[in-house]
Parts: sequence; structure tokens; C-alpha cells
Amino acid sequence: MEGLEQKFLQLSWKLHPDIFVNLTEREKEISLERSSKLNDAYRVLRDPVARVEYLLELEGMRKEGEHKQQAPPELLEEVFELNESLDELREAKSAGANLDVLSGKLRAAEKNFGEKLHQVDAELKTAAQQWDAALDADASDPDREAILQRLNELLNRRSYIRNLVAGVENELTGAAS
Amino acid sequence: MGRIVGIDLGTTNSLVAYVDAQTGQPQCITGPYGSTLCPSVVSLDPDGSVIVGEAARRRLLTQPERTIYSVKRLMGRGPADVQNELALFPFRIDPNSKNVIRVMLGDKMFTPPEISAFILRELRSWAEAELKEPVDRAVITVPAYFNDAQRQATKDAGRIAGLEVLRLVNEPTAAALAYGLHEKQRGHVAVYDLGGGTFDISILKLISTTEGDIYQVLSTNGDTHLGGDDIDNFLQAFVHHRVLQNGSFDFSASAESTQELRKSLIALKHELSEKDSALLRFPLPNGELFTHEFTRAEFERIIQPIVARTMAPVKQALADAHLAPATVEEVVLVGGTTRTPLIRRTVQDFFGRKPHIDLNPDEVVALGAAVQANILEHGVSNMLLLDVTPLSLGIETYGGAVSKIIPRNSTIPASAQEQYTTGVDNQTGIDIHVLQGERELAKDCRSLARFTLKVPPAPAGLPRIEVAFLIDANGILQVAAKDLRTGEQHSIEVQPSYGINDTEIERMLEESIEYAEQDFAERQLIEARTESQAILAATAKAFNNPQSADLPADERANIDTAIAALKESSAGSDYKQIRKRIDDLNHATEHLAELLMNSAVSTALEGRKLAEV
Repeated sequence: MEGLEQKFLQLSWKLHPDIFVNLTEREKEISLERSSKLNDAYRVLRDPVARVEYLLELEGMRKEGEHKQQAPPELLEEVFELNESLDELREAKSAGANLDVLSGKLRAAEKNFGEKLHQVDAELKTAAQQWDAALDADASDPDREAILQRLNELLNRRSYIRNLVAGVENELTGAAS
Repeated sequence: MGRIVGIDLGTTNSLVAYVDAQTGQPQCITGPYGSTLCPSVVSLDPDGSVIVGEAARRRLLTQPERTIYSVKRLMGRGPADVQNELALFPFRIDPNSKNVIRVMLGDKMFTPPEISAFILRELRSWAEAELKEPVDRAVITVPAYFNDAQRQATKDAGRIAGLEVLRLVNEPTAAALAYGLHEKQRGHVAVYDLGGGTFDISILKLISTTEGDIYQVLSTNGDTHLGGDDIDNFLQAFVHHRVLQNGSFDFSASAESTQELRKSLIALKHELSEKDSALLRFPLPNGELFTHEFTRAEFERIIQPIVARTMAPVKQALADAHLAPATVEEVVLVGGTTRTPLIRRTVQDFFGRKPHIDLNPDEVVALGAAVQANILEHGVSNMLLLDVTPLSLGIETYGGAVSKIIPRNSTIPASAQEQYTTGVDNQTGIDIHVLQGERELAKDCRSLARFTLKVPPAPAGLPRIEVAFLIDANGILQVAAKDLRTGEQHSIEVQPSYGINDTEIERMLEESIEYAEQDFAERQLIEARTESQAILAATAKAFNNPQSADLPADERANIDTAIAALKESSAGSDYKQIRKRIDDLNHATEHLAELLMNSAVSTALEGRKLAEV
């Protein structure tokens, strides 16, 4: 990461449009295009999740904008419960009932899934390190393929849980106001 | 080519600065009234000439329907956006305004960029008088949280004023540049910038590299409608409420009275930054005098909601930069409103460290703009600015949802490419709607532009068009399209949702030249003489009032001396000397004005100065 930042700053000195202000239109255009590419690349590479997404895209495992929104099997039961509580909350809201108990329950669920999100992030980090190690060790194709599969699964799980947490947050802020 | 200057085009005041070639230090240019601040007020004289700055500010009381202030609040906005402002600001908007607001000054209509252009022209003339050479290029600052339309409107204002805008720089970033030059800071810096009408918070990282210093903005947040104006509005509402409670006259319909109250409240607000209490004396239009002693505590209770509103953006910016308050090494306060003790305390408590206030908070943004102008004029040498886009860029997808393609706080320039195809055979166009904002639904985000991508007739799904969205170093969007099958570039006519097109800008540029081609010094002299006549007449009138007999003889003598001096210089052509003597006479007659005020509030006294009696 340290190396990435240094490289980014170094290239910024070479490409930033401020450096080309007094030159021709053509040179300004090129600088604008290249420095935007530099910034786009830095944005993706410094974010661990975006970085993995990009890797999977490169390897043809994932298409831009496509996400599987299937519940991971091991979470099915908890997700089911959560959705039930969310339904109850919506009903209670429209009936104008007291929301304290339900809100409390949802907050606990939110915390639970928040922890799961941290867990996935940690696993993602480990898998990414395994990928780097596999590259360094010049690992076989099946080995690489297995790590990519794992990364893809983790990303799907992450995006699923994140949507869940966002959904709960949304309902809870609605309940508070 | 002429010089490049740095301009802070502010809500309340605007400034122009340049870097002195000898010292290498930035400095603000002093205007004809002896101040570096040019009030951002524009007035259209009945004779058709345009008056800008202090002279226009003085007309707020006498000709409110021909005079406009805080026009920055209207930049890049549509008529529907400003309904709330209209309740508090005496803007007269042309009811037929469509995408672009048109403001009435007297019987003429102007767009906000045209009005801002008058301010830019005034500053340009200040700079040309000081530097004694033509100025045709500028770096102009904008609130970091300005959206695309607001930035474009600012750039348009520059063009209408005949200035090439080399760069729009975010105000907090400019302030950080000025501070960095001043005392070589390192590490993480938070810039809290509360001006007259806008609030910004930016978190920067200052990095030394072998090539030089990099000012990298990590995150920014803010509110483009939050500032000192809101404090004035709260105070105004408070007084209005009290007046009604007392069963007194409802003055809100009187533009003159509202302006008069506003002026007194601004003075009171400044007084309360220094003192623990201040007295408001407000003559109502029906002759009654409303008085209220504001304590600092009461004042802080009234403005607390405004200070509180700044803290959510501060927390969001820190979260986006992945920092905790305690890990920020330096905190810088910018903007006149940060002189308020409550704000200083709140910021200090939040970050747990004393904020920097060493540079004049009114001038620091202009100074930073001058530093950037100097960098651009002489080529980047040892300082580089990496700024970010404050708002996510998105495109509308099916069902009115927004797909984010460039997230907020991305370093600019930044770009994203999207591929499009057709859904039915021989479809000839694809509609694209570009938005800015953080919300999930298109209706909750800011519409930037809509355009139709032209597609050659083909079976559904066959065309492949790539659209490149690019945010340039000014934070302004550019769009280009390429047919991936043929490699052909498509030109895209993007009609901004809230903006003026190029033809209109050319016309405005021509018109504005007609308004502005009066010789600067000549105009200053005329204004100074007019003002001198007004104060001399007011003083003579005051001495006719029997109450003036209470004035001690030595004060009377002082006033007579000041009158003689002013008369003498008014006959000459040195406008600066005339202004100084007007100030002297104003000063000498303060006590006299007070005497008359105490006795005869019912004779529609307008202010503390005799010229306004």
C-alpha cells in the first residue's frame, strides 16, 4: 500500500493537468485523460474490495455491474428471521404501534450482521494474500482458479450482508423519526 | 498575456490577490474604500450604470429594489430550488424564469452569473489599478461542496467578465495552500470553512516528496446553504417574533426596515464576538423604538442550531478519510463566521486541539487562490494540489434508481466508462440522465444533464456505444461517446439542467462590456463626490435640529473643521482623500447622530451615521 501511494504521487507529478496549463489544447487533453486514468486506477487499487472486484473482472470471473443476490446457505436461517422482524416492524409502523421492542431486536440483528461483515472482510484479506502468494510461487492454474472462486464467493457474501445491514439501518432511521 | 490573479468570489465579500514577484508572498489588493473586502453587492443605477461593492452596499438601504446581495446563493440553481431563500431574502425573481433564474434589478433582468460577473469586473479593475497591467486570467475559488451546475455557473461568470478561468479551486483547499506556505504544516489537516453563505469541511494530507509538496485532499463535505447569512436570518426571526409579541407594528413588509434591521444585527453579531452583551436599537417604521439587550449566552442559544448543523458534515468527512478526530494534526478555521466564539469552542472541543487562526479568515482563501494562480502562471514547480469531487456522479437506471459511477471523494480528474446498447430493433436513440448526489433514487439527486445518444439503426443489442464521463480538475463534467464497433467518436450535445448555453454567454459578455467601460478612477471620483454631498447635506440638516444645541462646543468645532476639510478635497480629484475625509466627518458626527437618535427616532432615522439620517 505504501508503495502504491508513492507510485501514485510520483506519477501525479508527471501527469496532473496543472502542469500543462500553458501548453497546447492537445497536450492539455492528453494530460486530462492520463491523469484521470491514473486517479481511477489509484481509487480501485487502494480499496481492498474494489481491488478484488477488479482482479475478478480481469480474470473473467465477474462482469461489471453483475452481482449475485442469493443468500449464502449458512445464513439462511438468520436472514429469514431478520426479514420477519423487518416485516413486523413495517406493520407495527403503519399500525402506529410501539416500536421499542422490535427496534431493539433489529438493532441486535444489525450488530450481528455487522460483525459478520467484519469477518468477511478479514477472510477477504486472507484470500487476497493467498492470491499474491500463489502468484509469487507461480502456482498451478487449478490452484489459482480455486482462490479466485473463493474470492468471488466472499465478495458475493459481502455485498449480500452489506445490503442487509443497509436495509435494517434504513428501516431503523425511519422508525426513529 | 496579462497577469493571473486569484479571486475569492464570496457570498458576502469578494477579494482579489496576487503573488508579489519580489517577496514570493501572496497579498490581497486594497480597494478604493481602503479595504481588501469588496462587498458582493451589485446595484443598478436608474441611469443604467452598474455599481459594485461598498457603494452598492450603501444602496441596500436606499434602493433595495435595485440592489442585490448574496447572489452566490442563486448560482447554478433553478427557480424551484430557491423558494425557501425567497422567504428570507428580498430577491425579486422574474416569475417567468425557467431553468435559469433571472433576478430583477429595477426593471432589468440579470442571471446570477451576470451579476457575479459585475463583481469579477470590479475586482479585475482593482487588480489592474494595483498591478498597472492588464489582467485577463484568473483562478476563482468555489465552495468545495459546490455541485457541477454551481461550478459551471461560476466559470460562466468569469467568461462574461472577460476573464479566462484557468482553474476553479475549492475554498478550503485554497486556505490550506495559504497556510502551508505560511508555516509548512505536515500530516493531516482539517479545514473548517464557514463563510457568509456556505459551509465546507475538507480533510487534507500534506506530503513531502522529492519533487515537492503535495496537498492531497482526502475528503470533503459541507452544505452550500449554511453560513453567516443564516445567523442573520435567525436573529432577524427572533427580533420579528419579539416585536410581534410586544404587540408592535409588523415591519416585515417594509424592505427598507428589513434591510435596516439586518444591518444593525450584523453589527451586533460582530460586537458579540468581542463583548459579552450588545444593545439593539431598531426604529420601527411606525416611529416606535424597539430595543433589546442581547447577552452572549442568549446569542449562542439562538445560533446553536446553525453550529450544530456543521458537525454532521465534519463527522462524515472524517469517516470518509478513515480518520478519528484525534488523529488530525492541525485544524484551520476559515471564513468570517468562524470569528464567533461559540464556533471556535465547538471545533476545538471536537478535535481536542486549538485551531489555527493566524491568517485573516476573510483573506486566507483569496491568498491561497493567488498561490495557485502563481503556480499555474509559472508552471508547477514544487507544489501540487490533488483535489476531489465532493459528490458522487451517477446515471439513472431502470425504475428511477441511480447507479454510482464515480464515488464522492474521488481524486479529480476522474472518469468512468459505461457501455450502452439498444433494446428494440432500429432504435435510434438512448436517453441518458446524469445526476450528482448520494441518494439512491434519481428524484432525490441533483439532475446535471440529460441527453440522447444517437444510434445508427441496427438489430436490438447489436450497437455498442461507450460513453465516457469525465470530471475535470475544476470538478466539471465532460461527456464523450464512442461507437465501439466503428471506433467513431460521437459528439454529444449536453444541455445542462441548470445552466446557460454558449450563445447566451457570448451575448452577456457583449452586454456586460457596455456596462463596465467607464473609467475606474473617474467612477470612483463621481461616487466619492456624491457621497460627500450627501453627508454634508445631512450634517447641515442635523444642525437645523434644535436638539443639536446640546452638542458641546469643542465637538461642534471638530465637526466644522472636518466639514471644511471635506469640502476642500471634494473640489479636488483625489477620491481616496475624499473617502478618508468622509470617514473623518462620519466619526466626528457620531455623538451628534446619537443625540438626534435619542430625541427623534420617529423621524425615520436609518442608522448611526449622519449621512443616512
